[in-house]
Amino acid sequence: MDTAVARNRNIRYLLTAILVGLVWLFLRFPNMLDRPILKFLGRNRPDPKTLHLEGEFVESNLGTTQDLDGSITVRLIAEQYMFVPHCVLVPANTPLRVRITSADVVHMLDVQGTKYTLKALPGVINQTQITLPKPGQYPMPCREFCGAGHFAMRSEIIAVPREQFRKLTHDERVSCETP
Amino acid sequence: MKLRSGNLSWIRAAGVKAALLACALLPISASDGSYTLLSTSSATIRIPSLIAWTPETITAAGSGDAFRGLLLARRCNHCHGQEGFSAEGAIPNLASLSRLSIWKQLRDFRDGKRHSAVMEPIAATLSTQDMADAAAYYSMLPVMPDPQDNRTFPEASAKNESLANATLLVSLGDGTRGIPPCQACHGPAGVVNAAPSLATQNAEYVLEQLNAFANGSRTNDINMPMRTVARLLTEDERHKLADFYGSGTGQLPMGVP
Repeated sequence: MDTAVARNRNIRYLLTAILVGLVWLFLRFPNMLDRPILKFLGRNRPDPKTLHLEGEFVESNLGTTQDLDGSITVRLIAEQYMFVPHCVLVPANTPLRVRITSADVVHMLDVQGTKYTLKALPGVINQTQITLPKPGQYPMPCREFCGAGHFAMRSEIIAVPREQFRKLTHDERVSCETP
Repeated sequence: MKLRSGNLSWIRAAGVKAALLACALLPISASDGSYTLLSTSSATIRIPSLIAWTPETITAAGSGDAFRGLLLARRCNHCHGQEGFSAEGAIPNLASLSRLSIWKQLRDFRDGKRHSAVMEPIAATLSTQDMADAAAYYSMLPVMPDPQDNRTFPEASAKNESLANATLLVSLGDGTRGIPPCQACHGPAGVVNAAPSLATQNAEYVLEQLNAFANGSRTNDINMPMRTVARLLTEDERHKLADFYGSGTGQLPMGVP
């Protein structure tokens, strides 16, 4: 009887520990289930042919956006033979969420001078978290041979000091291209 | 037995609790800004063109009847020329352009995605099949028309120096500025859906469209390739490229007679 009670108690402790661990995981990584949920809903598999019609990669949603929780997201489309928008403006020394997909073939974004690379696949959204340590220009060439214009496929990410970025209006933040 | 059932019910309760917790926490992860559409202040969704090059669209655009297009083209001949070569520089030559590019521009005129005081009312009277038919007809016209035709193409050849600069841009692009070569999409090196061949285009029209892309008055390129490139080109380079193509120096994509 005593051993049975002890075993029961041990199982309870174990299950409680697992439960506490799960709660901690949820609190620590609130985005943990996003990918599986979106995969289940089919939301992270955009049709590369209809990126400009619907979804988060419509033309007016590209570039740098500040979300309601203050985090910064950069959305890029890779296509033959450029990354759109061609010039991205971001704050330096700030964690950035970069989301990229391809409209045609496989490309690879390489932020030169940093360790970050990100593959752009048609029909898949790839995401990574990057931080650019200091202000300046970072060239972003394509590192996956993508066709006749591959060697000229090169865009740019410009990091400005955080205070300067905070003063910009929404339209100025989107990209550093002259309209 | 009693113990076991107690144990089981506790596990069930824990499972319910975990499920409830998960439900309570899900909205937190779902409200994360990265997945909400247009979470920031950009209120309007800009859509460049309603066309998407799905297989069905490509079939619809490419399955025109060229003979019916010939009859329809009697309305177009006055401006675009008897043989698809216009007499005025600002009006595009249509001979031997790809079916998809002619069809897409007509659709964009009808949808109000590209603006022209002349073409918008005309396109409004055409059905999708009419557009495919006209596109089929013009894509079949020969590149070398009757020399008696009073067309503007090709213009007198451009200066050697400007040709040299334009040739570099057309064949290699500019890697340091991220300008891809023109020929990678407009031929002959590569072909992209609805990227027209420029080899038989009027210089004035090419320049006008490059400027329109650069200043944002034409916005119907899907995923902004032309707006991006036209903004990167200097004004001088736009002139040189227009001269290059208008003087007949450009090459047609492979497969075009």
